[in-house]
Amino acid sequence: MRRILDNLYKGSGWAAALFILAICLLVMAQVVLNLIDKLASNFLGEAFGLTIPSYADFTGFFLAAASFLALAYTLREGGHIRVLLIVQNLPARYRHWVEVWCVTVSGTVTVYFSFYTAFLTYDSFVYNDLSPGMVAVPIWIPQLAMLVGLVVLAIALIDELFALLKGQKASYEGKGENLLEKNPVSAVIVREDGS
Amino acid sequence: MSEIALTVFLLLLLFALLGSGVWVAFSLAMVGLVGMTLFTEAPVGDVMATTIWGASNSWALAALPLFIWMGEILFRSRLSQDMFSALSPWMKNLPGRLLHVNIFGCGIFAAVSGSSAATAATIGKLSIPELSKRGYPEKMMIGTLAGSATLGLLIPPSIILIVYGVATEQSIARLFVAAVLPGLLLLSLFVGFVLVWSLFHKDEIPDEIEDLPFREKLYRSRRLVPVLLLILGVIGSIYTGIASPTDAAAVGVVLALVLSWSTNSLNRKSFFDGLMGATRTSCMIAFILAGAAFLTVAMGFTGIPKLLALWIGSLELSNYALLAALTVFFVILGCFLDGISVVVLTTSVIMPLVEQAGIDPLWFGIYIVIVVEMSQITPPVGFNLFVLQALTGRNILNVAVAALPFFLLMFVALGLIIVFPSIVTFLPNQM
Repeated sequence: MRRILDNLYKGSGWAAALFILAICLLVMAQVVLNLIDKLASNFLGEAFGLTIPSYADFTGFFLAAASFLALAYTLREGGHIRVLLIVQNLPARYRHWVEVWCVTVSGTVTVYFSFYTAFLTYDSFVYNDLSPGMVAVPIWIPQLAMLVGLVVLAIALIDELFALLKGQKASYEGKGENLLEKNPVSAVIVREDGS
Repeated sequence: MSEIALTVFLLLLLFALLGSGVWVAFSLAMVGLVGMTLFTEAPVGDVMATTIWGASNSWALAALPLFIWMGEILFRSRLSQDMFSALSPWMKNLPGRLLHVNIFGCGIFAAVSGSSAATAATIGKLSIPELSKRGYPEKMMIGTLAGSATLGLLIPPSIILIVYGVATEQSIARLFVAAVLPGLLLLSLFVGFVLVWSLFHKDEIPDEIEDLPFREKLYRSRRLVPVLLLILGVIGSIYTGIASPTDAAAVGVVLALVLSWSTNSLNRKSFFDGLMGATRTSCMIAFILAGAAFLTVAMGFTGIPKLLALWIGSLELSNYALLAALTVFFVILGCFLDGISVVVLTTSVIMPLVEQAGIDPLWFGIYIVIVVEMSQITPPVGFNLFVLQALTGRNILNVAVAALPFFLLMFVALGLIIVFPSIVTFLPNQM
């Protein structure tokens, strides 16, 4: 079970990364087309007007997919920002309950939000809403990516809550709460005498 | 319930949630949910889903993961290391000598990274061992790094300006151009301060040992070429019109990949590490943006921003007093939140005020970024202070004291752009 869940979070994170890669490729393709157009208008006096149809729409959809699919993975890697100024000085016992509180609040918001996103996606499906661009995409498809990301996040938070209640540490604890821990800068120590 | 009491209640709720360690994005969404449920009749869940969907699939925002990815790639390459060793031989005859490498190194790295903490960490990691080995005064070493690393937020491409541009519907290209002169202004203030300080403390600045002949210096400078190509490529693609600022980010990623490939620092592992790092960071920011978008709409339903704007409007503060009040407000907020959250959290409430006061939103964007820069080096929460604390092993107060002169210099810069707004608006008006 543990392995299935971990793979779910990680897999969803990888899917998100692929969407970012896709954004980069898509945008770069458009830039190359712009460049060809620019050269054509300079040398041939006429641009071809090359564009990838609905490219802005697709970029936006990919971004939404990337953002939401990465949520659970980012949570477990300690990537989401929080203010620890006050709670970091609490004794470990209280700190544990602070984590329970945080996960419960976040989990509640996520479950609630997931339900309404499911309604939204279902409505788009039933009414067959299409995106406005040249290539009309049924809007429920990109919305489904958002829904999947939220559901995975909800699962991750519930998973986290159970682990905490069993007395385990949170998965994100001690991971990348600021840039310092994400990058190993602490490895460089300069001594006072400058040696 | 009176609107003021309602506002205070929601603010307290926000601070309570944030202070108790709840993630920023969830805190924002929760306050939006509570505010809307208690004080409006609107269908909360539907509004939430629609708003967040609308805010999340934005083409302009797609630049965010790409610029972050570019920074991640460069962080794993030899680019900054090369830059440092190429710059240092030129500084021999300048008062302050290698201290300027900190400033210019940060300035240049800022032009490609877009993040202040990344700039401090990368340049600091390279320069602190070198400078302390040569015996440079520790206070100036830390101070110059802390101060000039904040330029990462201002000098284009700047993620925070993209966020501001998206949040306030300003042209990102114009914001980027507007940031150029204020960035140079800050750079010259920092350089000027180091010059003057060094003239008064001649004995504290060590002699430069490495005395390369001119040809050698020139030869060494070839290592600056990749950085220059990258900057030219990214910024040039915008101004030749082949790429919008969003597209330019993809150009940056490709150039960064080529760069790190050509210096042999690109391999399968560094590629995927960078990509996953970018995925996490951009997810974090996009999620906060989503939460803030919902909170903004929820606030709109409760009518608070309008009332607050009316209230501050009824105070009839002069523009100067308004800016002074906002500066204090932002610096305090910046003590607890990172720059992007500050911008996202407040623009929705502040912008109507600012526009009502007749302040140019373009100018205000630059102003807000400089204030946020200042907040990066104020205790108790200043990202640059943390980075330098880890690099030097000094406690945060020592680091903050070292950074204080640079904090004051930013104040001076702020004053200058208030008195001479054309420092900001001149270049964009030429477009």
